[in-house]
Formats: sequence, structure tokens, C-alpha cells
Amino acid sequence: MPSVNTRVFFSKMDRAKYISHLDLNHCVQRAMRRSKLPIWQTEGYNPHTYVAFMLPLSLGQEGICEAMDFRLTEDIAPEEVMQKLNESLPPDIRIISVKTPNYKNTDIASAEYRIESDVNIEKFRTFTDSEQILTEKKTKKGVSTVDLKPLISELSIEADAITLRLPAGNDFNINPSLLFEAFQNATGEEISRLRIVRTKIFCADGNIFS
Amino acid sequence: MAERKYTGGAEGMKILDEFLLKIQKPSRYIGGEVGAVIKDKSKVDVRFAFCFPDTYEIGMSHLGMKILYGLKNAVPNYWCERVFMPLPDMEEEMRKRDIPLFALESLDPIKDFDFIGFTIQYEMCYTTILEMLDLAGVPVLQSEREGLAPIVVGGGPCVCNAEPLADFFDLFIIGEGEELNLELMALMEKCKKEGTTRQEFLRRAAEIEGIYVPSLYDVSYNDDGTVKTIEAKETAPAQVTKRIVKDIDKMYAPDSFVVPFCNIVHDRAVVEVLRGCIRGCRFCQAGFIYRPFREKSKETILTQTKTLCENTGYDEVSLSSLSTSDFKDIEGLLTDLTDYTSKNDINLSLPSLRVDRFSDEVLKKITDVRKSGLTFAPEGGTQRLRDVINKNVTEQNVLDSVKIAFEGGYTNIKLYFMLGLPTETLEDIEGIYNLARAVVEQFYANPNRKKGKPVSVSISLSTFIPKPFTPFEFEPQLDEESIKARQKHLISICSDKKISISWSKYNTSLLEAVLARGDRRIGKVIYSAWKKGCKLDSWEEYFDFGKWQQAFDECGLSMEFYANRRREYDEIAPWSHINMLVSREFFIEENKRAHEGIATPNCREKCSNCGVTKCVGGEVCRAIR
Repeated sequence: MPSVNTRVFFSKMDRAKYISHLDLNHCVQRAMRRSKLPIWQTEGYNPHTYVAFMLPLSLGQEGICEAMDFRLTEDIAPEEVMQKLNESLPPDIRIISVKTPNYKNTDIASAEYRIESDVNIEKFRTFTDSEQILTEKKTKKGVSTVDLKPLISELSIEADAITLRLPAGNDFNINPSLLFEAFQNATGEEISRLRIVRTKIFCADGNIFS
Repeated sequence: MAERKYTGGAEGMKILDEFLLKIQKPSRYIGGEVGAVIKDKSKVDVRFAFCFPDTYEIGMSHLGMKILYGLKNAVPNYWCERVFMPLPDMEEEMRKRDIPLFALESLDPIKDFDFIGFTIQYEMCYTTILEMLDLAGVPVLQSEREGLAPIVVGGGPCVCNAEPLADFFDLFIIGEGEELNLELMALMEKCKKEGTTRQEFLRRAAEIEGIYVPSLYDVSYNDDGTVKTIEAKETAPAQVTKRIVKDIDKMYAPDSFVVPFCNIVHDRAVVEVLRGCIRGCRFCQAGFIYRPFREKSKETILTQTKTLCENTGYDEVSLSSLSTSDFKDIEGLLTDLTDYTSKNDINLSLPSLRVDRFSDEVLKKITDVRKSGLTFAPEGGTQRLRDVINKNVTEQNVLDSVKIAFEGGYTNIKLYFMLGLPTETLEDIEGIYNLARAVVEQFYANPNRKKGKPVSVSISLSTFIPKPFTPFEFEPQLDEESIKARQKHLISICSDKKISISWSKYNTSLLEAVLARGDRRIGKVIYSAWKKGCKLDSWEEYFDFGKWQQAFDECGLSMEFYANRRREYDEIAPWSHINMLVSREFFIEENKRAHEGIATPNCREKCSNCGVTKCVGGEVCRAIR
């Protein structure tokens, strides 16, 4: 059977940010069935559509460069794949592009986030200028202390938004919310609005994940 | 925190965003699912908030809601949205932030809608209804509402005796809602244009067949607490007759469902195959209130199955009815359906299969797809008792069925029984154990049984609850002490480790019995219990029986009067102004036959003149063809 490796980039915005990663998997599986696209199914006792997500997005965060891979068993024009999937997906998940994979998910090294929040800009700037930003990070092995400071590879603090680049990947990932938790813990400041949008995913060679 | 008033829509979403991440499973509170209907408010004339008084996971599993949601939204200028009861973590935040109960599609507060409709599927949701109205910012008491809208409307099986809820609802839909919902919305459209009062709307609604406006009826009581008179006021009919859809084959059926993001109780496509039931089990309310018996055609069911699976993307479909194996051409239906489902990797699940029509062929078809535990409901332990309740299933039927099941590789069998059935004795209790033992023996009689995997038979005991519009509506519910004694007796004789026993809580069954056959005075008790904090009573973790007891004491009413008293045939029932098409004479006759231990043949074998054929002109009941 011919099979065409396909990578689609999609956005997950607004109400869709409350769909957990596990539920997103179900949701996409059902969308694929509705789309009637010839997508390769796993074989075995309980066949299901095979979809691999490149980098999970935390519950509550939005993304405009999310990626998932699947295989088509027939050659289908990218425009048609995009149209059929968009007709089948919930309104707040939109396919942006359909491509052939260039990189593997293990090539992913960092991600850029755009953050809109009611954080006190001056205090936040002072906080991020400090030499160390120690915080606790939950891992599979337990809680460990990390210094976020050297992990922030890009940071721009503007009045309307903060842009931030942090390590990302399936082996080592830093959730941007950690920085804001650390800020709240260190300063006692309250943040009531925190909108985090993943805007870019980078590979180890510095290129955009594609 | 910014001080903003919650007005719904996109602005409302921003307010919700401030705290939703603190909430368990937030996706159930914000809508946005595939299949959810979004309309342009400026082009909508009538808005309906369809409320299910339980959690999202329960409510979203309910077929009736999906039918009425699709049906109403098919009209361009009507918009029906979904509303569920938030769990305490969400409700607490909403109250703290002054966010009134909102609908999932628009996120708009439902107090601004034209209708707030509740589907009332079980008695234990009554306090949740009050909580939802209060959270919405709508007066809980019908008498305190002003202006034309919102009209609070109730429907579903419980409204066949809506009296305990009379204080809280503007009107009830008696019977099937497909036609009535649209008629009510059309009336609202007209009344809004004319600018009529709420009273005028209700007066006109009461003229529609199947609409019950409780405030247009006066009830008086005898000294002994029984109902003396029920009198209709103004233009309201003396008797409200339930509505039915005559041709269910041509009736609207949803071509898509709202497909949830999170797991719900029944997360699959569901296709209705028939309405009504030919069986006439004397304890079963559904078996009488959904009469007459009507079937869809095989072709319609097949088409609806395909359409629904394709539009939802579900890989599991289930057939819904009170007794799917009574579908006339069940073998043909399953052949055609499995032909489609197996080609498309769809699982077919078949609940409510009756023991005595469980043939080899049918079983093979479901085992082709999925092998799970099997459930049988003999309800009574001896043939004598099964004749009393008219459960026309013999021990041999059960054993024949489990034999096939065991040969098909099943090892788990669940048996449902009721305790406290009319005329029940200890001999019947022992019969439960004997039947379970016989099932175990049947397993070991099978030479091809799976080695190394022992058989497991679970006995599940519930307490009999007498319901209105059944031959047992006259019967007392057995008191707690006697029920517990019977449970103990069964446990004491059960020495087989392959048999396990579980039972339901008595207090829940008692309250359910009171609410099911209660009169209007019970409304004060419900109000008082709710004021004390009762809600989500069907959830064990939230149910507080003590508060209910206090509420009864404060209102000077006793649960025993409603639950544990035998009612005379000539007593005026609180629901006697409601006509569910099955005659009272029939129920009395059936009650007498029960006490004589005489079973009644099912409707397909012989019409027992329940009254339904006469009432609907003899055209609709399809039991005998």
C-alpha cells in the first residue's frame, strides 16, 4: 500500500485551549473519520487512525504552529486535505498548512511564546534581570530545582505582550507558565490574566520546525 | 481583578478565562464542540435554554436532548442551546464572580432566554433544577416571575406526575416533545410580537393539547391527607392528554450529535429503533407511559445509523429502545447493520436485550463485534413472583440464554433483582440465590468452557419503587427494616464464592418513592431541602438524607404517608388530571391480576385493552400486525 507521510500545522485557539492533549487525540481521530480522507490505520484487534502529535501543548495554552503527522494511503492534493480536515474539525482548531515532514520531532529544541497578561511590566523586568531565577519543576522523577535564567534564550518585554523563547521538546521542555509562577512566588504580585500562545517551534539547527 | 458584569458572548469568555484552568475538566463548560449550533443572535426570534439537571457527562449522553436540540435548531429563527449543572468547584467560582448560569453555545446568561426547559428523567434531580434556576438568577418560585420571558418548562417521564414540581414550573410538556416544543416556540414568537403578558401566554399555552399549566389548577385535600379535588381554572382542560408522534418512521431524527471533547457516560452514536413496549411488566413506568408501541422501518434505522456515524465520526453505535429484541425483524436488522458496521470498523452495542428472545443468531452477531459481560434482569426470584410482576421470563429462558452466552465465551453474568415487590416472601428471596446457583451450574455443565477462568455471577438488588401510571401505583413500598431483613437473609444463605451480591441504598429509594407519587405539598419540602443545601442528590457524595428528613419535619409531612401506604382504587391520585392514554381501569385490573398471580400476555400475543388503541383512534399501536 502506498503511503504518503504528511505533516499538518494547525492552530488551537480560544475555546480549544481547554481540550486536553488526550482529548485532542480523540477529537482529531473523529475528525479524520468524518473527513473520509484515506488515512492509514493501525492494524490489529482494534484498528484506529494513526496520528502522531509533535509537541504537546499544555492545557489552557494556545498555539498557532502545532503539528501532527499521519500517513495518507492515496496521493491527495494538500489543498484538499486542508479543506476536508477543516470542515471536520471543531471551529477553534484550524489547519494552516499541509506539508511533507522535514524534521523529526526529536529535532525540536525550543519554542517561542507570546504572552499577554496584566503583569506589572516594570516589576517583571526587574525580576527577569536578576542573576538567577530558581523555581521548582515537576518531572517524572519528582520535583527538582531549575534555574530558568540561562534557559531563556530570548526575551522581549513590551507593554502589550511579552515574547519568550524556552527549551522545548519531548525530552526537556520548559513550560512558560513556570516563569510567571516563579515571579508570583518571588514578588507576591498577582497575575489574573495570562494568555500564552505558542508562536514558533525551532529545531536544534536553529531553523523553524517544518 | 477587573469588575465587569458577565453578559456572555466573547466578553464572557474573557471572564471565564480568568479561572477556568483552576476547574476540573474545563472543556465541559465552554462548548465549541463539533456539532454545536451557533447562530447569529440578531436573526433569532426565540431562544431556548435546554437544561439537563445533572452534569455534562450525564446530560450529554441523553438521546432525547439530542433529538430536540436538532429539531429546534433546524428552524432558522429559533436557537436552542445546552445547559448542564456545574460541579461544586465551578459553581463556587461562578457565584463568587457573579456569573449567572450560561448556555454553552453563546455563553449568554439563560435568564435572558425565552424558554428555560428542563428534561426531567429521574426524581433525584429535583433540587438540582432549583439550584440551576437560582444560579441563573431566575426566581425559583413560579409565582415570583414577572414579564413574558423566561418561561420555565419541564418535560420527560417524571412530569406524568409533575405535582411535586408545580410551584417551580410555568408549564409542563406531557408526552412526546417533538411537536409540542415547536408549537410552544411558535406561540412565544407570536406573543412577543403582540407584547402579551406572561399570564396570557400561559392561558394560550394551556389550550394546546399536551400542555399542562399547573397554576391553572386548584387542588384541595381531605382530612386524611389524600387529594379531594383537582379543579381546572379559566380555559384549562379538566384533563391534560399526552401527545405522541404518530409516525415515528417519518419523525425528525438527528443527523448529527454534538461530539464532546471529554469522555461522557455514553460516548457513541445512538439510534432509536422503537417507542413503547409490548411487555407490560407491572412495576415499569416506562413500559406504560411510552405506549403505544411504534417501530421505525429497518431501512430508516439503517440510513440513520450511517448518517449519524459519518457525521459524528463515532466508531461505536448503539440501538436505543425499551426492548430492542422486540423489534419485529430483529434478525434482519442486525444482519444489515453488522454488514455496515463491520465494514467500517464500527462497534455495534445492543443494550436492553430481553432474555427470551436472545437467540443463537443474535448472540453471534454481537459477539462478532465485542465480548463483554452480560446482564439479565429476571427481577423476581421465583416463577410465582415473576408472574405477579408480569415479567414473562422463566428460569429455563434464563438458563438457555446463559448457556449460549457461556458457549460464546462469556464468563461474567450480572443478574438484576428487586426487593420488596408486592406479595414477596422469603421463599422468593431464596429463589434469587437458587437462580444464581443454577447459572453457575450451567457454566460447569458446558464441556467446552474456558479453562482457568472461573465464572462470576453478580446479583444486583434494588428496592422496588411504586410509580404512577403502573399497575403497582397502589402498592406500598416496603419499609427499611423489612428490606434490610431480606437483604440479610439472602447474604446469609449465599455460600458460593462465585456469586457476589450488591444492593442499592434504601434512603435513596424511599425518597424516590415519595417524590414519584407525591402531591403539590411536596413542593414545600423540595424547596426547604434545597434551601438547606441539597443538590445533585443522585450523586452519593452529595446526597444528604438528613437534610431531607429535616425538611419533611419542618413541613409537617411524613415520608411514610407517600411511600409506605396502600392506596385504595377509588382514591383520587395527585396525577388524576393527567391522561397518559393508558386507562386507570386497566391499571386496577392489572393490579388485581397481580395479586391473583396471573400473568398478562404481551401486546403482540394479545391486546389487553390498556386503552391506548382507543385513545389514538386505533391507528397507531403497532404491537399486533
